[in-house]
Amino acid sequence: MGSIPFVNQSKMQQLSDNSLMLKVKSGELDKLGLLYERHKKRLFGFFYNMNSDAMTSEDLVQNVFVRMMKYKHSYSGEGSFLAWMFSMARNVNNDYHNKNKKSRNQYELSTVEYKLEATETIENTMDQKDAIAQLNRAMQNLSTDKREVLILSKFKEMRFSEIGQVLGCSENTAKVKAHRALKELKTVFNQMQIP
Amino acid sequence: MNEEQFEVMAMAYLKDEISKENKMEFEAFIANNTDYRKEFDALTASWNDFDSIVVPEPSENMDKAFFQMLGSAIEKEKERLNWATQVQEILALIFRPQLAYGILILALGVSVGYFMKQDNTIQQIEPKVVSNDETEEVREKLVLTLLEQPSANKRLEGVNEANKISKVDETVINALLKTLNSDANVNVRLAAIESLTNYVDNPVVRQGLIQSIPNQESPIIQVTLANLMVALQEKKSVEPFKQLLREKQLDTTVKKKIENSIESII
Repeated sequence: MGSIPFVNQSKMQQLSDNSLMLKVKSGELDKLGLLYERHKKRLFGFFYNMNSDAMTSEDLVQNVFVRMMKYKHSYSGEGSFLAWMFSMARNVNNDYHNKNKKSRNQYELSTVEYKLEATETIENTMDQKDAIAQLNRAMQNLSTDKREVLILSKFKEMRFSEIGQVLGCSENTAKVKAHRALKELKTVFNQMQIP
Repeated sequence: MNEEQFEVMAMAYLKDEISKENKMEFEAFIANNTDYRKEFDALTASWNDFDSIVVPEPSENMDKAFFQMLGSAIEKEKERLNWATQVQEILALIFRPQLAYGILILALGVSVGYFMKQDNTIQQIEPKVVSNDETEEVREKLVLTLLEQPSANKRLEGVNEANKISKVDETVINALLKTLNSDANVNVRLAAIESLTNYVDNPVVRQGLIQSIPNQESPIIQVTLANLMVALQEKKSVEPFKQLLREKQLDTTVKKKIENSIESII
């Protein structure tokens, strides 16, 4: 028996996520721990790419799960759990920025250190490090909507139909948005490389 | 393929969400269109570059904070459930089936008793009201019938019956006044006066009594009317009495009595 195709794996995961969330809804709160373990890195990645701030991203991940508990009664079990979770993550991020009108382009020293430490073992040359840092800055120069669609597109587990649900648009519109965001990222990145 | 179709296909291709047929179609399209191929190459490069953005691992603090939050939420939920269970147990204790049935039967008994009592009262009152109304009606008819009887005793009985009616109507009053003015028997006429005395507040009765004064022949009737008018202090009766004095040959005692009465009324 060969490996399970990606779509089937995703569906199995989705069923499992759905059933876990339904158990949380019925009062088995400990099942939220399993969902947390399963999705914490993905959510952290989303917030980190959105804000370039590790500490804030950790807080926002927690806020997503607090919100899941608060609104567990509204969970119907139909549709994609990932889409439901990322819709919440998106709202959490927006709420955070509405409350803290801090400039999102502010690049915190601690975050740079955090990132470099993590990339040290993977990237060796200074040029590569510079290029990554520049790409990161280019990302932060994009609008929130464009960053969102790009980050969500890069999640292997999320299909464009689910991204459309998170963003409140059709699958094709999500593709068009992702294309334009990617194109803009390239333009911004190229402009940064001009001395 | 227009620009938007290209954008949709390109992203589906990059994310590997494209059918075999569309993939072939797209590959053929970019192979034949240099501009689009260049654009797609640039897109692919950006798409792959994006993977180089490394996201650090979240710290252990995130796990610690999450499980602390989850633990306290579970505790709260348990407390809530315990409280709910306790309330449920207390309610189950209070509303045991035996007690519930007992209360139900008691309530049923009380309500049945209440309604039965109410029904009896209604039943008792209603016939009484009906019988009272019926009796009054029958009695009025009896009075009218008896007053027209040739026998003086019967007519006297009729007047006595009229006294028993609590609320007489105009027909009975007219019948009594007619008796007072035209009955052949003095005792019947006297009884009629006594009966009418009960209704002196009625202007028709007063007027009838005054008008009957000049017509009376019997001294005892004359004196009774004089006493009544003095008691009522009815000034309108003065003229009829004077008329009586002028027109009738009265007994001296009666004449004196009437004169005294006129004086006391004035």
